[in-house]
Amino acid sequence: MIFPWNKKKSSANIAKDRLRIAIMTDKEHNKYPFMEDLKADIIAVVKKYITVRDVDIKKEQDGELEALSIDVQIGK
Amino acid sequence: MGMIIAVISGKGGVGKTTASANIGLGIALNGKKCVLVDFDIGQRNLDMILGLENRVVYDMVQVMDGEATVSQAIIKSKSSPNLYFLAASQTKDKSVLDSDKIKKLIDELSEQFEYVILDSPAGIESGYEHTIEFANSAIVVVNPEVSSIRDSDRAIGILDSKSQKVKDGEEVAKYLIINRIIPEMVSSGEMLSSEDILEILNIKLLGKVAEDKGVIDASNQGKPIILNPKSVAGRAYVRISSRLCGNNIAIEEPSASSKGIMGKFRGMFS
Repeated sequence: MIFPWNKKKSSANIAKDRLRIAIMTDKEHNKYPFMEDLKADIIAVVKKYITVRDVDIKKEQDGELEALSIDVQIGK
Repeated sequence: MGMIIAVISGKGGVGKTTASANIGLGIALNGKKCVLVDFDIGQRNLDMILGLENRVVYDMVQVMDGEATVSQAIIKSKSSPNLYFLAASQTKDKSVLDSDKIKKLIDELSEQFEYVILDSPAGIESGYEHTIEFANSAIVVVNPEVSSIRDSDRAIGILDSKSQKVKDGEEVAKYLIINRIIPEMVSSGEMLSSEDILEILNIKLLGKVAEDKGVIDASNQGKPIILNPKSVAGRAYVRISSRLCGNNIAIEEPSASSKGIMGKFRGMFS
């Protein structure tokens, strides 16, 4: 119920706002903007030599260290 | 080929194994042949919930390694002749899982069963990735609570990039179960509503399950709560299973369990 003295935001609404932001940053955190293009380029290069099943690129972070892990699966 | 459903959550302790057991039994009670596979290697919980812990002889890793056949390893449920169970391995570690062996096992199961339900381990590590790899649909179990919802979003993200079906250019069907809803808290604004959760996760709602103390009582006895028609959670799983069997049943708003005045009043006559 809405009373003038009840102006405090409900904790469910706080949760919703916090979640939205957290999930958005989680997604940005795991990605570089160029990852899709990089994947396409890697496939194009490796394909010249061998069949590619899939390329998986991950941004990995361990404290200060940032790494790009590229996993190329070769087709049979 | 049968329906291959991975039950996932991201965070542990949200009721994923309970959901798997009840959905599997519910589907079986609908007359469909169903097998539940415990993919939580090293943990083994589903056998307890189903009351089958004393019957386990062979586990799924032994089947994958060719030490036992599927028919030797699957255990028939006490509650339905249509439900079978394949136990997780307790001894071997998760690294024994290998995509080719898992595919072979799942292919074999889906030839024999209309529904193959894979209870995935918590977390988003390799055990989880292996569970979702060959599933054609996924049930995401969340609690109306921030950490559960955030972790399930990550699990969904991995599902969308790692499943074979997605790699083949198809889509994995995703369904959400919101578990442990406390209706009084939702109405007072102290708990995220189902609408809020759906807006954040953006997947199809399969069902809402209210917090129910009977769940612990049911697991104490190894009798899934779906067998108790008086429990709110049991009835919610009846509806969820029926939906999974293709029946069109409207989503029901979980009402406060027998705690309220009306509930007490009704309780006097039931």
